[in-house]
This record gives sequence, structure tokens and C-alpha cells, in this order.
Amino acid sequence: MALYELLNLTFQFLDSFAFIVLATVGLAIIFGMMGIINLAHGEFILVGAYATTLSFNLLGVPLVLAMLVGIIATTVYGIILERLIIHRLYGRLLDSMVVTFGISLVMIQLTRIVFGNSLDQIGTPFGGISYGVYSYSAYRIMLAGAAILTLAALYVVFTRTTFGIKARATIQDEETARSMGVDTDRMYLSTFAIGSALAGLTGALYAPTITMSPDLGANFLVEAFVAVVVGGPSVLIGTSLAGGFLGTIDAIFTYVGGTFIGQVALLTAAIFAIRFLPDGITGLLEDIRAKRREAQ
Amino acid sequence: MSSDSSASLAARLRAPFEGPNTIGNSNGFWASFGVAVLLLAIYPVLFGPYAAATSSVFLVYALLGVSLCFIWGFCGILSFGQVAFFGVAGYTFGIVAINLSSYTGVTLGIVAGIAVATLFAALLGYFMFYGGVRDVYVTIITLVVALVLHTFLGQTAGSEWAVGEAALGGFNGMVGIPDLGVGVGDVGITLDGAMHYYAALAALIATYLGLRVLVNSQFGYAMVATREDEARTEMFGYNTTFIKFVTFTIGGALAGLSGVLFVTWGNYIDPSEFAITAAAMPVIWASIGGRESIFGTIAAAIAIQWLELQLTGEWALVIVGSLLIIVMLAIPKGIAPGIRDLIVALQTRRQEPASDSPAPTEEVSD
Amino acid sequence: MATSDPTVKTTAAVDETGVETDTILQTRGLRKQFGGLTATDDVDFGIDEGELRCLIGPNGAGKSTFLKLLTGRLEPTAGSIYYDGDEIGHLPSHERVSRGISMKFQVPSIYPDLSVRENLRIPLQRIADPDTFEQRTRETLERFHLEGTADETAANLSHGQQQRLEIAMAMTLEPTLMLLDEPVAGLSVEETAEVADLLRTINAEDDVAFVVIEHDIDFVETIADQVTVLHDGAIFREGSIEDVRNDPAVKRIYLGEEE
Repeated sequence: MALYELLNLTFQFLDSFAFIVLATVGLAIIFGMMGIINLAHGEFILVGAYATTLSFNLLGVPLVLAMLVGIIATTVYGIILERLIIHRLYGRLLDSMVVTFGISLVMIQLTRIVFGNSLDQIGTPFGGISYGVYSYSAYRIMLAGAAILTLAALYVVFTRTTFGIKARATIQDEETARSMGVDTDRMYLSTFAIGSALAGLTGALYAPTITMSPDLGANFLVEAFVAVVVGGPSVLIGTSLAGGFLGTIDAIFTYVGGTFIGQVALLTAAIFAIRFLPDGITGLLEDIRAKRREAQ
Repeated sequence: MSSDSSASLAARLRAPFEGPNTIGNSNGFWASFGVAVLLLAIYPVLFGPYAAATSSVFLVYALLGVSLCFIWGFCGILSFGQVAFFGVAGYTFGIVAINLSSYTGVTLGIVAGIAVATLFAALLGYFMFYGGVRDVYVTIITLVVALVLHTFLGQTAGSEWAVGEAALGGFNGMVGIPDLGVGVGDVGITLDGAMHYYAALAALIATYLGLRVLVNSQFGYAMVATREDEARTEMFGYNTTFIKFVTFTIGGALAGLSGVLFVTWGNYIDPSEFAITAAAMPVIWASIGGRESIFGTIAAAIAIQWLELQLTGEWALVIVGSLLIIVMLAIPKGIAPGIRDLIVALQTRRQEPASDSPAPTEEVSD
Repeated sequence: MATSDPTVKTTAAVDETGVETDTILQTRGLRKQFGGLTATDDVDFGIDEGELRCLIGPNGAGKSTFLKLLTGRLEPTAGSIYYDGDEIGHLPSHERVSRGISMKFQVPSIYPDLSVRENLRIPLQRIADPDTFEQRTRETLERFHLEGTADETAANLSHGQQQRLEIAMAMTLEPTLMLLDEPVAGLSVEETAEVADLLRTINAEDDVAFVVIEHDIDFVETIADQVTVLHDGAIFREGSIEDVRNDPAVKRIYLGEEE
């Protein structure tokens, strides 16, 4: 019995971890690397989820292909938005929040006008894993794997490829990067596109598990923003560590008291984290590393 | 032309309300302010008590917008959580007034609603500002607080979620909230219909004038200095943490006041007041009207809410959202400061070539 | 402003904290560690009322960490800071300012979007009656050669004017100690001379003690007699500018970091 309870908690943790990481990565990359707070992040996820669901329902394509459509649609959408609006907001952090809030509002309402208050949901694939009297959705456990894979892939992209190195150079010192011949404008666009693609991926992956309504993006906001705050400026490590840390808290409190208690615990954890680590987990690591460098 | 003594009396009367921290310090401004107040005051006479009762909510929203304008425009704290204090005050009023169904209950409800909202803002502000939370992180946390409240109240549909007679009601909301009123026991007056309108108008005007005095006072300069550069202001011996804490708490109290006025207007509140679309509205009013102009924010709140009502349909939010994006990209500071800059620019251009004509020296603005 | 003759010193009385009372600022074993790195290493540093002391040292010597400890931007790991006999090492910045320590940082930190008059009002309203604002603003502008700029937006002032406005704002608080971080960084030769002149005048006329962090030894020579050299977070030498300048060990640490 105790073993099953433990298993329950473990699955709950994997579920929370996956949700936090996937809800956050897109937002974290755009915030950490470009200084844009994308309050329409949830609606980027919405685009991914809707594109996936619609292509699955209407075109009858296999789920994996439908998910790919979702990702591509969100990426294209992100690129268009960056060119039209977002690129005017670099360096205007608070303004970026206000404008993306406007975008969010318009998108939710446009979705409602075009598609109505809900779509038919894709059934959750893979069934469940049963143990004792319990069972747990295998798909949700698979999502934890997807989250880890996503982080690993991003790690490779940003540390091992020339694109990643150029992107990081742009973020660290735009002037210098430009003088070294990096097209910084394109770097911002590409980074925004990657952030959008990740939001699309999140939407695609969660499409079979959540109700398809125009305001579904709001489901992701609390976790995403809390994790960005707790993770701090170094996106990948921050998101991973925040996912682990907050995942644990969320799992335990959700397990004990339900979604609301879980969210309150997250919020409290965020406030405490900010109290003791003003620049997030990675800010602390960065601080120590910088002082070490200075010492040498 | 008035005599010197009456002119100086007017100047002395006006002095506390004026200063570089507020837009609109000219005769022209105060004249248009007077006209605006007069128009609002005779609105119920012109259009009847029913129209006044329906329109009252615009004034309530304007007050909510002012609560944000004050903390964001003057102290640089962008809060997406004004609706949290607004809603908490509304629910609190409901709980108190429903349970004590008498004038005493309503009066206590007003006090309790504002007090709980103020306390909530103080508590949150204390944790944030004394915890070293800054800038954009304050914004995120306030937003998260509103969203968490939304989640919480959404799941209070069950009968166990009732405080005495008052059921929280989940997404269906709390119903049967009494009208606004003051008194003790059975003796008192009920402020419904057009009276609610006048109560809201009085609250709005009093808040407007009070805040003008405040932002032009020493504390106002400290707020503006904190907005401009916190570290520097600290170096002049100001406790900026305390300044932000006090400002945020006042903002919470004002949002609470508007929340009480809101629930007594519709006799109803539900969790959608905390949702992201609702949380966005004060930010939209202040952004479009001009966050550094209280008057601009009030005008924008009334105009946008009115517009939304006229559009009465699904396109309202699309239009409002698009308006926000366009204004933020075209005039980042908002319409009222934009008009001020335009007038100043026109005046200087007129002054330069026409050297012998007595050019107006005061800006007419807002 | 009342000036006490700095050459007439009372016999240094010692109070219960062991700090000599004509010492305005004294640190005892002040230490700051970041992880494994010691940025400030058991520093005992003191200056007298009305003294003008420069704190020099090569890049990375720990000058700015030390200054941040004095201003309250950083908390010390160990040790204490006495100001006027009181331990202030754990007070927040604004309380140190209220006790008479003014601070000016490297980055020109005026309020660029406010007018000069409003800039001056921020410190002024802390100490003066509202009725005197106009007059005091006029006096300050005269003293710091900023006449006619009152209604300019501070961002439109020249670099030198901005520096003077900043010092004027710090001086408005009537401090007894000023902490300055590289006050002439980025200024032209003429502007540097002007600032040097200003600092000497204030130091002499208002009896304000100065701790000036400076990288540039040539500038130091024009304003101070006594200097303290920091190296690797610790006090390396202390003495007159000539002695320090001719000290081969000091030359070595400066040369060692030649960029």
C-alpha cells in the first residue's frame, strides 16, 4: 500500500515537473534571452493546441503529424508577430508586457469568435498504467520524458551549434556581437521563433489532455511565470532546476490538497525564492561564478 | 479680469493640487475639469435615474483604473493585481452585508471590504518589497496572485464554501449582495439607482483631488524619485522600500473602495473579476489614457468601458486589445501626456515667430 | 557654514567602542566573502573629520566592494563599520544617509527626465522647509555654477554640468562625510580640473570629509595628500601621495595589471 502511495506521488511529481518545464521553456527563452515578457505566452500555446486538434479532427492526420502541424503553425505565427509588433519592444520590458497583454486579449477573443467556446478534444492516447487499485495515464508519464528531451535538445542547440553561440553572444553584448558580423536582428527573430515553437510544442503535447477552450492558455500561466521568476536569468539550467524544485512542491501540495493548494504553494515558494535569491537559482550560481572569475 | 486678491486666493486654493508631477495645472485645465464634473453631475438629470444607475459602473471602473494609475504612473509599480484587491473587497462586503442584513451590516461591510483589501495589499506589498522583489517580478507576482484567487474562488461551488448565510458560489458567483447604504440597525439610507451614481461620483472626485494633493506633496516627489531611479533615491536618504509599500497599500485601498462600489452596483460578484481578461483592464485604461495622468486614466476607463458596452458583442475585446497595442506602439506614454506634449509643442512654435503678441504661457492640457 | 579649524585637534578621546572620537569613519576587521573569494580582507580603515582621503588601487583590488560595504549596498561577512562612534555596518543605505553620509556613484545618477529644479528638490525636501526651497535652489545653482538651468531637463545638461548637479544634490543633504566613486570618470581635462577644484573648496569650506575612490593617480595628486592603496582586498600601503607614488611595490602592483 505504502509503495503504491509512493508510486502515486512519483507520478504526480513527474506530471508536475513535465507541466512546469513545458509550460515555461518558451516563455523563459524569450524572457531570458530577449528581455521580452510575453504575456500572450498562453495564447501561443493555444495556437499549438488548436492547430494540433483541428488538423487531427478535420484532416484526420495521425497524432504525431498533427502535433508537428501545431508546432509549425505556432512558429510561423510567432515569426509574423515578431516582425509586426514584438521587434519594436526590445529594451522596453514593461511595455512589452502591456502590449503582449493586448495581443493575448485579441487572440482569446478571436479564437472564440472563429471556433466557438470549445473544440472536440483528442482522446488521450496510450491508456493507463494500473497498479493495485490505482492507475495513471501513460501519456502523462511520457510527457516527463518529452520535457527532459526538450531541455536536452535545447542544451545542444544553445551550446554546441554556431547558431546557439551567436545567439548567446547577441544576448550578452549586442554591440560586440554586431561588430563581429552577427546579424543580431536575425538572432532575435530566430530566438523568438524558437520560443514560439516551444510554446507550440507545449500546446501540441497537452492538446489531448486539456479542454479545448479559447482561454486554455491561462492554465499554463501560473506555473510558467512562477518558474521563470524562480529560475532566473540562465534559461536552461534555471528552467530545469525550477522545474525540479517547483515540481516537487507542486506534486506534494497538489497530492495533499488539490490544484488550488498546489498553486498557493507555488506562489509562496516563488515569493520565498525571490526573497532569498533575488536573481533566481541561476542568479545565485552566476554570482558565485562571476566572483570566482574576478578572483583569478 | 479678476482683482489681485481674488486671483491670489484662487492661486492659493489651487496650489496644493498643482505641481510638475501632475499634468494639467493651467486655467484651461481647471475649466475643463469643472465642465467635466458638471456634465457628470447633471447626467442623471438629463438622462434619468435609470441611465444613471446603469452608468454608475463606469465611474467604479474609473476608480479602479485610478488605483493603478497612482501606483504605476507615479511610483513605477506595474500591478496586474488591482483586480485582486477589488474582488477581495467585493467578496468581503458580500459576506458581511449578507450575514448582517441591516444598515449596520452594510456600513460595516463597506469598512470591512476596504479594510480587508488594504490589509491584503499591505501584506502582499510587505512580502514583495521587503523581500526585495523588483520591477517586472512585482508585476508577475501580482498577476499570479489574481490568477490563483481565480482558481480558488472557481472551486468554491460546494455548500461547504459558505460563510454564514453567504455562499461563495464557485463560478456562479455570490448573489444577493445588498445595495450600498449607511446607517445603524433599521435607521439609515440606501444608496441605490441614481444615488449610487452620485456616491461613486463623489468617491471618484474626492479620490482624484486627494491624489493630486498627494502626488504634489513631499511624499509625491519621493514617489516620483523612486519611479525614476530607486538606487539614487535611496542615496538621498529615502526609504524607497517603505515608499513603495505605502504606495502599493494605498493603491490596494482604492481598488478595495471600487470593489465595494462594484458589488453594491450589481449586487453580484463572480471569479471572472480575477481572470486575466479582467486583470488586464486597469492596465489598458492607464496605458491608453496615460499612466502619468490620473485624469487621462479616468477618461480612458469611462470611454473604453462605454465603448465595450456599445459594441456589445464578441468584437469588443478585439477592438479594445487592438487599441491598446496601437496606442502603446504609437504613443508609449498614453494619450493624455501625448496631448500635453502636442500643446506644448504648438505653443512654443507659436511663441517663437510672434514676438510682440502676448503668447499664452500656461499649457492647456489633459 | 561653521568651520572648525581642522589643524586644532582635541586630544583624541577614546569612547567605549575603542574608536577615537575625532575619527569620523572607522572600519574594524571588515571582511566580505563571495563564496570562496575574499573581496575585502580584514580592512581597518579610518579617516578623520574634515579629511580628504583617496582610496586607490589597480582594477580588481576590491575598491568598489569596499565602497559598497560603506554605503550599505553590500552586507559585510564580518567586521564592523563605525561612523561617529556608532556601528552602522548593518544599517540600510538610507539610514546611513540620514546620519550624514552622502554617496555619489560612478554612473551619473541624476534623474535625467526631471528638471534641475525637481532634481534638487529631492534632497532638499528632506532637510529644508518648503518656504525656503526657491531661495536654496537659487543659492545652490549659483554655488555650483548651474545658473539658468533650473527648468532644463537634467538629461539636456552637459556632462560636466551633470557631474556638478550630482555633487550639488549630494551636498544639499549637508553631509559630514561624502563617498565618491571615480568622480571624474569620462570627463574632459577641463571638467576634471573643475571637479577637483570643487571638491577642494567643499572640503575646505564646509568641513566635509571625503573618501574618494579613484583609479587615476594623476587626479588623486591634485586633490589629496593622504592616500590608501588597496590590493587584493586588503590595505597595501597608507601614506602621503609622494611616498606611495615612489614606492616600488605600489608601482609593481599597478604595472602587474597594465592592460
